[in-house]
Amino acid sequence: MTGYAAPIQRLIQELGRLPGIGEKTATRLAMFILRRPDEEARRLAESILDVKEKIRFCSVCFNLAEGELCPVCSDPARDRERICVVEDPDSLTAIEESGSFRGTYHVLHGALAPLDGIGPDQIRIRELSERLLRGGIREVIVATNPSVQGESTALLIMRLLKEKGVEVTRIALGVPVGGDLRYTDKMTLAKAMEHRRGM
Amino acid sequence: MTSRSSHKVRAIVLRSLDYGESDRILTFLTDEFGKLKGIAKGARRSRRRFANALEPFSLTTLLFSRRGRGGLALIEGSDVIRHFAGIREDLDRTLVAACVSELAEHFSVEGKKNLPLFDLLADFLDFIDTGRMTEASERFFELRLLKAAGFEPVLDRCVTCGTLLEGIEAPQFDCREGGIRCARCAVNGPDFIPVSAGTLRTLLMGRDIDFERMPRVGLSGLMAREGREILGCFIRHLTGRELRSVSVLAEIRKRYTP
Repeated sequence: MTGYAAPIQRLIQELGRLPGIGEKTATRLAMFILRRPDEEARRLAESILDVKEKIRFCSVCFNLAEGELCPVCSDPARDRERICVVEDPDSLTAIEESGSFRGTYHVLHGALAPLDGIGPDQIRIRELSERLLRGGIREVIVATNPSVQGESTALLIMRLLKEKGVEVTRIALGVPVGGDLRYTDKMTLAKAMEHRRGM
Repeated sequence: MTSRSSHKVRAIVLRSLDYGESDRILTFLTDEFGKLKGIAKGARRSRRRFANALEPFSLTTLLFSRRGRGGLALIEGSDVIRHFAGIREDLDRTLVAACVSELAEHFSVEGKKNLPLFDLLADFLDFIDTGRMTEASERFFELRLLKAAGFEPVLDRCVTCGTLLEGIEAPQFDCREGGIRCARCAVNGPDFIPVSAGTLRTLLMGRDIDFERMPRVGLSGLMAREGREILGCFIRHLTGRELRSVSVLAEIRKRYTP
């Protein structure tokens, strides 16, 4: 990297801080940016600054928002009696793209991970409890990932919301649509059998 | 150039960390190579090759290869032997499993076979899975783990003069020395914790009994507190800090237990 001019070195260093980007990839990206028209580089820089300046957490659900409320919470057509709890904004987007849910969300920004020292105070679980205290919620759908961390987070939420007069449900686990039972792992198959439904 | 050697071992997943777009970096406790760190390329995408076998606490048959003995192993495949589904379905069991896994990670050495430690962890995860664990069994596990790792605390005699427990009045546990001291040898120590003879006798008994009999051993409030204090202090002394999962477990038990 020493052969590059100082501004290029700085750009490589900054790009190298991004997750999954090593020095070689950072150098390739820096060279790509250098070769693009000025306008394109300016747009990239401005969009980074824009995100940092304008994006904040939605005051209701903690999704990423451009103002006080995120697009879901500011939509009057949403069913506000149902909250779907997700680990992160990416999970929220995935559910939104499925078009299967018309309620609102609560984004925890993480999951319980005792081995990494992440407990209830490091995720937005207290805020969920406070939201329920304000009333008007009939159902909480826990849509954390079906991993050890996601499952333990779901169990903690169930413990927290027990006896609060709210129905708590968990997203189903089972065989993926278009999947093949022969190639489905034992645990998923066991869950699919356990959570089978009447037809 | 060192050639790449392949191995097939039994392994317990201790820790899993997402890496890059689709990889995972994992820490295992294996029966043949002690602690092992490896990378599973594409693990987050490939449901077929790894098929949920890389979840924490899973007991698996692991296929890996590596060059030499250092660096990350390349995880080539894994098959689940036991998922311990009972652990995943209960918050307290999950938290205790996290604590025992973190302890095993701390007290195992990379590349150094320690079959008693591996068997102890596998057996205890099985025990937690059945839902019969008690606070006493957690302490008994800690004692057995310390023994398997070569750090067994001395609880049956004064660590300084050798006086047997039966002859010691008001024993105190010395966290730095990892053993009890008699009144004569425990003068103004900074890390001395008073502990009753009853607690010490219960711990010594629990250290050696079968897992099957563990649920029958109850600890009084005083014994539970003393056991937690002396073993917690000794483990903190050995690891240099409080284990993360122990802090999370304590927080959840304090604030979220019905």
